[in-house]
Amino acid sequence: MRREGSPARPRLEYVAATSWRGEVERALARGLRFRCAYAGGEGERSWSALFGDGHEELLLRTFASGDVPAVDSVVDLVEAADWDEREAHDLGAIEFEGRASTRPLLDHSQPSSAWAVPVAGAGVNQVAVGPVHAGIIESGHFRFHVVGERILHVDPQLFYKHRGLERAAEGMRPAAGIAIAQRACGACAVTNSVAFAQACESMLGSVVDEPTRRARTLLIELERLYNHLHDIAAICAGVGFAAGNMAFANLKERALTVNRLLSGHRFLFGSVALGGNEIVPGAPAVEEARARLSELGADIAAAWRALDFAATVQVRLTGAGVLSRERAEELGAVGPAARASGVERDARTYAPLLHYPAFRQARIDRPSGDCSARLRVRAAELATTLETLDDLLQGGVEAGSAVQRANADGAADVGAAVVEGPRGETVCVVEGDGARLRRFHLRTASYANWPALAAATAGELLPDFPLINKSFELCYACVDR
Amino acid sequence: MFVLLEQLRRARRTAALDRSGAIGSCALRHVDCGSCNACEHELTATLGPAYDLQRLGLDLVASPRHADVLLVTGPVTTRMVEPLRAAYAAMPEPRLVAALGDCPLGVGVVADRGALAGPLERILHVDIRIPGCPPTPAEITEALADALARRA
Ligand code: SF4
Repeated sequence: MRREGSPARPRLEYVAATSWRGEVERALARGLRFRCAYAGGEGERSWSALFGDGHEELLLRTFASGDVPAVDSVVDLVEAADWDEREAHDLGAIEFEGRASTRPLLDHSQPSSAWAVPVAGAGVNQVAVGPVHAGIIESGHFRFHVVGERILHVDPQLFYKHRGLERAAEGMRPAAGIAIAQRACGACAVTNSVAFAQACESMLGSVVDEPTRRARTLLIELERLYNHLHDIAAICAGVGFAAGNMAFANLKERALTVNRLLSGHRFLFGSVALGGNEIVPGAPAVEEARARLSELGADIAAAWRALDFAATVQVRLTGAGVLSRERAEELGAVGPAARASGVERDARTYAPLLHYPAFRQARIDRPSGDCSARLRVRAAELATTLETLDDLLQGGVEAGSAVQRANADGAADVGAAVVEGPRGETVCVVEGDGARLRRFHLRTASYANWPALAAATAGELLPDFPLINKSFELCYACVDR
Repeated sequence: MFVLLEQLRRARRTAALDRSGAIGSCALRHVDCGSCNACEHELTATLGPAYDLQRLGLDLVASPRHADVLLVTGPVTTRMVEPLRAAYAAMPEPRLVAALGDCPLGVGVVADRGALAGPLERILHVDIRIPGCPPTPAEITEALADALARRA
């Protein structure tokens, strides 16, 4: 039984290896969405997939069988599970049967013929870019298959930044594990920390009180504010519009100083704790932050109007890097990138553990799935975020705590959470108990969206890739972990 | 466009940057060796209107072949050792290596030891240390300007 105001704790269901595909199909047919899949938890052979819709969360688990551990692949049923299976293959040595091929994803020891999609034809060439790039960019490699300047296909080879964070968390106390969730990614530090904290709290059977929910929501929206400003600046840079790039970089800088005022850290590090929040700014700081945000909001609105009417910029964005609604759905795209393609999905519309009363999703006129739509979605969301921030600050920020409750939901050695961060839904699953984490899995919005970025790139020109890339502005750090 | 430029003019006035001019010239190249990306955010900010690294004669360049200083972020993953060495090898002499942030200095790193080859000192000699998690744009600017002044 679920209590009012608490999200569904994942229901763990063991499935025989022979009925794995059938059960996955059944979960999807019931309208549950694929959230993540991971190996480990109950030994190396355990293979689990989480499905949910916010109201119901279902964790299916089976065990790989045979001398070489193997399970049936489900990528033909859920294309979004492609990277999850390939990751488990490379890290957990599980074979997936029924796949056309399991190309290496994390395994960098193999030649490009093994991990890149074979593309043949007259005049097809490969262009290799990275892992070190020309600008201040995270490390990652791209293999473009081109004819002239036209991109036929791109294979991103990421995981150069793999730090084994999930493994490092194993055996840790849940309260200590939050440092790992936070450092997974600087730009998503709050989102990942809150997802981790909520997953642990769900596992431990505790619920946080109202002040904590408000403080966490405040932190998440502060994170969204500076990220969206950063992304708009990056898109301007992508089309060589220096004035827009610099103006929005400066607006982002102002948002970072508000972060520092409220939390003591420009990227809000160390502000989320298990069972509470670590920030308790005094009333004068809260007042000052409110005033600065209101001024910032006015300047953002003016800057956006100027950008929206800069015809030379808009014409470069329109029609570039289209992600169709169908592909966005199939690939399981999330966040602003999905919403720009008309997929109206936002975990904030159902977030009982955060504070979004009467949350209204920002909408844009033409969700055309191109760079222009991804820019417009962010601009529209900035307004909602600023409203939410003002509302939260008006009520002040207090220290919160968690209320322990009996484990009435049965075996509770698994917990999960979904949090809508700046780039979309981030999913966290933890297994273990109050003393020790047995498994920690983080599937961030960027992880969900990389295949969508690759899809939006096909058919475009090579020089447009930096722009298309920036219009998604995905992290490498929290994908590589 | 006018609004954007007007906002930038205002930003430049309030930033009140020291305008005594460049103290020399130094080209920087950044290599990410497994950072959380916050160090990159702050490095990017040093080139923005509020800090304007270029006013000191410092600038980021697109290739290690044009660089005097290699700025390294992250705890140095095993997978980034080779690309890091290749970038360093491509630099002309004399060249300096800067550890940007606590991670390459081996401070407060959270990771599975097996996935790391760092700290940076194990791979390359470190000449400039810029601690912080992340160091602020002001701290990065100051550390680089200091290093340039000492050599100038
Ligand atoms: S030093 Fe801190 S901010 Fe910089 S990459 Fe490391 S964890 Fe991130």
